[in-house]
Amino acid sequence: MTRIFAATRRDVLAGGSAALAVGLGATLAPRAARADMTPHEKELYEAARKEGELTWYTTHSDDVTAQALGRKFEQLYPGIKCNVVRTTAQVAFQRVAQELKAGAMQVDVFSSTDIGHYVYLKDKKLLEKYVPESSTKVLDIYKGYDPDGYYFVTSAGLIGMSCNTAKVKLADAPTNWTGLIDAKWKDQIALGHPAFSGYVGTWVVTLRKLYGWDFFEKLAKNNPRVGRSINDTVTLLNSGESTIAGTAANNSTVESLRKGNPLAMIYPTDGTVLILAPSGIMKGVRHPNAARLHMEFLMSVDASKIWVEHFNESMRAEVTPSGGFKSAKDVKTIRPTVEEISKGIPEVIKQWREVFGV
Amino acid sequence: MSDQTLSFAGARASGMLRRLDPSMALWIVMIALLIFLVASPTVRLVVASFQEPETGRLTLANYHTAYVNWRHLAALGNSLELGVGVAILAGLFGVPIAWAISRTDMPLKGFVRVMVLGAFITPPYLGAIGWILLAGPNSGWLNRLWVAATGEAHGVFNVYSMPGLILVVAVTSFPYIFVFTNSALDLVSSEMEDAAQVLGAGKLRTAFRITLPMVFPAILGGLIISFLEAISLFGAPALIALPARFNVVATQLWQFFEYPVQVEVAAAYAIPLLVITVLMFWLQRRILGRKGYAAVTGKGGERRMIALGGWRWVMLGYALFVCALSVLLPLSVLLQAAFAKAWGRGFSLDNLTLGNFHYLLFEQTQAQSTIINTFVYAGATAFLAIALSLAIAYVVSRQLVPWSNVLAFLCVAPFVIPGIVLAIGFYAAYAPPPLALYGTGTILVLAFTTRFLPIAYTSSAASMRSINPEMEEAVRILGGGRLLAIRRVLAPLLKKSLAGAWILVFIPAARELSSAIFLVGPNSRVISVMLFDLSEEGNFEVLAALGTILLVVTLIIAAIGFRIIGRDFMLRRSV
Amino acid sequence: MTKLVLRGVERRFGSTLAVAGLDLDIRPGEFVSLLGPSGCGKTTTLRMIAGFIDPTAGTIEMDGKVLSSPAGSLPPERRDMSMIFQSYAIWPNMTVEQNVAFGLELRRISADEVRRRVREMLEVVHMGHLAGRYPAELSGGQQQRVALARAIVIKPSVLLLDEPLSNLDANLREEMRFEIKRLHDEFRITTVYVTHDQAEAMVTSDRIAVMNQGRIEQVDDPHTLYTRPRTRFVAGFIGRSNFIDGTCNGAEIAFDAFAVARAAIVDGAALAGKVTFSVRPQSMRLARTPGPPAGNRPQVEVRIVERAYLGEFWDYVVVPAAGRTRLRVTTPPLEVYQKGETAWLQLDPEQMTPITDGATVTTPPG
Repeated sequence: MTRIFAATRRDVLAGGSAALAVGLGATLAPRAARADMTPHEKELYEAARKEGELTWYTTHSDDVTAQALGRKFEQLYPGIKCNVVRTTAQVAFQRVAQELKAGAMQVDVFSSTDIGHYVYLKDKKLLEKYVPESSTKVLDIYKGYDPDGYYFVTSAGLIGMSCNTAKVKLADAPTNWTGLIDAKWKDQIALGHPAFSGYVGTWVVTLRKLYGWDFFEKLAKNNPRVGRSINDTVTLLNSGESTIAGTAANNSTVESLRKGNPLAMIYPTDGTVLILAPSGIMKGVRHPNAARLHMEFLMSVDASKIWVEHFNESMRAEVTPSGGFKSAKDVKTIRPTVEEISKGIPEVIKQWREVFGV
Repeated sequence: MSDQTLSFAGARASGMLRRLDPSMALWIVMIALLIFLVASPTVRLVVASFQEPETGRLTLANYHTAYVNWRHLAALGNSLELGVGVAILAGLFGVPIAWAISRTDMPLKGFVRVMVLGAFITPPYLGAIGWILLAGPNSGWLNRLWVAATGEAHGVFNVYSMPGLILVVAVTSFPYIFVFTNSALDLVSSEMEDAAQVLGAGKLRTAFRITLPMVFPAILGGLIISFLEAISLFGAPALIALPARFNVVATQLWQFFEYPVQVEVAAAYAIPLLVITVLMFWLQRRILGRKGYAAVTGKGGERRMIALGGWRWVMLGYALFVCALSVLLPLSVLLQAAFAKAWGRGFSLDNLTLGNFHYLLFEQTQAQSTIINTFVYAGATAFLAIALSLAIAYVVSRQLVPWSNVLAFLCVAPFVIPGIVLAIGFYAAYAPPPLALYGTGTILVLAFTTRFLPIAYTSSAASMRSINPEMEEAVRILGGGRLLAIRRVLAPLLKKSLAGAWILVFIPAARELSSAIFLVGPNSRVISVMLFDLSEEGNFEVLAALGTILLVVTLIIAAIGFRIIGRDFMLRRSV
Repeated sequence: MTKLVLRGVERRFGSTLAVAGLDLDIRPGEFVSLLGPSGCGKTTTLRMIAGFIDPTAGTIEMDGKVLSSPAGSLPPERRDMSMIFQSYAIWPNMTVEQNVAFGLELRRISADEVRRRVREMLEVVHMGHLAGRYPAELSGGQQQRVALARAIVIKPSVLLLDEPLSNLDANLREEMRFEIKRLHDEFRITTVYVTHDQAEAMVTSDRIAVMNQGRIEQVDDPHTLYTRPRTRFVAGFIGRSNFIDGTCNGAEIAFDAFAVARAAIVDGAALAGKVTFSVRPQSMRLARTPGPPAGNRPQVEVRIVERAYLGEFWDYVVVPAAGRTRLRVTTPPLEVYQKGETAWLQLDPEQMTPITDGATVTTPPG
């Protein structure tokens, strides 16, 4: 039985006031080293302050969330500017690769939604080993993906489906993944693209594992509208261009819903895909201490508060999602292994291009 | 008694007569810069296409990878289709309007001219977004109107298609054809048409059989430029073709830059664009014989407006239709989105907000620096391009070095290289060590300068031609050197046209996407790339706001240009 | 004593020889014109003197110092010369005063001195009241004067003029011709003047160098050039002329229908064989009846073949009764003859000049 969430005015107010509170809090925060820093944190902060800034490539969320995290970081650690560059996963990886090739590292912390990137980078010895203090404090499910300490899961999200409730009644929408192949959704489906989005890449690998590549050949017959980012589907549904999103990120869908758009999130019966998105520090970066501090931050309570505010998963037990939306513990989740992702995403990109033409 | 304070003192000091001008050093520096900017990346590109990635050994494997693949070839075919379609449609838009403004008594000419200027300023990718908002098959405003009006289930306009893409590109590309045709038509004397009418030809037949064929070289020039622009565009196809599920060369090249970066294959794949461009110009030469760009000879003679009677309203209607397609419709929906909380909700008052602008200007950490970067780079590009092209134009017109025609050719050659290909060449040549310019603003400015050098040069060369060399010689015979002549006489005389050329470079540089997309780093982002990134997550409201900022600033600068230069700005063909 | 010397000056453009082995000596204060049709190389020569072009062979010297040679040249700005260009080249972004002051300012003369000399010069060319105007506000003639003032005020060693009057209408041209001559007389600057208009050259010059196809055919003062042309080209270019062939025969030179005593011809003793003579239309007379034999002047009976009335004179074409040569004669307006009439032509051997480039008798230049 799926439990589907629909927006109510109460929730809009709740989300709005939460945002307001954070905003106020941000302006009133003190601008000095806080008393509650651990000694290690303080040490890092002093060193990082000398470096003065940090560049963060992130694909873990939309731009608004990423900016919010960046600003929070600057607020907690005054004197360190945080350059936030948000793109889709493959685009970010491409930029990192270009920088590596050119021998001119611009990025300090790399947060990608494609865990396969880290397997590759670690293999080529392009990551720096650093075990943040806060990494021991995250929820168990997010621990231990790299025992060697080169990368850590710093964010998680859910991929389900969504529908535009103004055009399609929730009751008529598909309830599981195979429902997407139904001919009645021809010309109505929106998808992201695995060659851009790490989320979508992982989704394709998962569904290929569940149903074989056959599933996608049939899906292609329904002539879906293919965008780039997984968040493109939110736009397409909002505008009424499509009515069903085959790849819908929980965070962006709910966020848009809270803004007043006629959306509803669907958590498929055969399992909602859980995405674990890591972060790591590149080798030879220009601001190593600021980078380490940032890693600490990403797994901190402050960061989790922001994640939750924007309807992502919380990394820490201390922070529970309020505001009444579903999170990983509320639904049945499925996910592929790290190996499956790292081998699978390049494969499915090729296969996708063959089937969908781009 | 003659003033002997000059002359022989210097000659005595050097002991011998000197052959060289002291300004030679300056010219040599400029020439070296020109070679650095134009020849080096091009050569590097061609060489890279034959190299193996890791080892650098020569091989044909890149060409094999690039072409023995059905999808890649299909992309090439799509580009050609796009180019031809755009050229034809832009011609259908531009030529009648140019004729109407130059030769007839159609009303509201000033307004139409301003609209054409607006179309010129609008970057194609912004127009694409406007059209997505207008003609998305289910959500576009036009389709919604249609459904509401006719009661049918679906709309009829689908922007996500080849015809849609052709329309989107054509409406931002027709200003070139307009300007070329209009300037050429302005030189045609009415006596030409009178002669035809005396013999019995009506107005329309005269236009088709006499007037337009006279300016055929100009029209052909405009068509070719539209074609070449279209096949090398990146932004609009990325936004429209991808969802429509077809590729063009530019988007395919983008894919070669995905991880792992295959510069060599990209280079091999890009070569046909170069070949096609050269072919087009050769073809143009063939068709036009040795006239090249020369329009009509002889003194223009008097030009009277043809009275169209009731038909002038028809022409105006057509002109307004084109203006609507290119400027009024897309920009109005963009504005709506820029000020909306959720653009899909429509034009209701409670949907209005300044929040998008606020977000951009105050909250988005990157936006401020991006906006500043864009205009700083565009300004730097304009200065560099003008300075370099003026120096070279001077060297060429005064024939200061042997083979100065080669220099002129080098200045115009980048026209032949599509923007995206140029970027790859620059990337291959300068991004890695030893210069290691990747991610800096410098490589962007250099690439833009190269890209817009042809515009700057043709303008500078034309300005040079308009100044009698005797002006300088008069300075020299009185005892001033070349540099003094440039400073006291040439530069002041050229002020106006230089300002015009500066703006002609600044505007496209500010909105350039195709060559920027590969060369930006996190600290050197420009508005066009940011717009592109924003379109990735579909935040059209913020995107529209950023686009509005770009357009407003560009418009202000263009308006200043009008002020300085007068009516002739941009409506005079500079080629 | 010479000011400017051109020795064997030659200029090639690619395979074309624009100026071929020119030799010219110009004395200080002299006004020399380079006269010839377009394409004869006169402007090229002038520009070589100025230093804008280098000779491919030969040298140009001034006051004994070499200015131009194939090995190297002094640039124009260091030659202490001045030039008036065909387009005047008055700088439109500066006032009349600023234009004229420019050369003085370059010579680091004090501002007061500059102003004084500029004012003085402008008065000389009658432009003092227009000192503050811009070139766009001036007429062609006024711009000319500004160009002259600008060039002369710096007191150059040599003044060069490149067809300065060709853009003016006929009346203005005459006026400016005299202006130039007047200024030359006043300041006595060595001047080289290029023109294709022989009247201009004649009025202004101390000597004229007639050029044709890159060579100087003759350099002489205007009177000698007119009365004693040495080549067919010069004879035809300066004024008009008949060209008739004569054969030396002992004490006589025999022509088509008459003969002339060799002693009557200037330098007649040196002639031999077939010689072509230049005979000006104004040097012959027409009469109704033969007059008394007057010394050495032959008289020939002729028939009037054509006539044209030009207001100030009659132009007749006559043919000797006993010959076929067509000769052109001019007479004052009151001497009227009809076509077909016979008359008597009287020639003046002193005004018959032998010329080189001998050719068969042709129709006189029309």
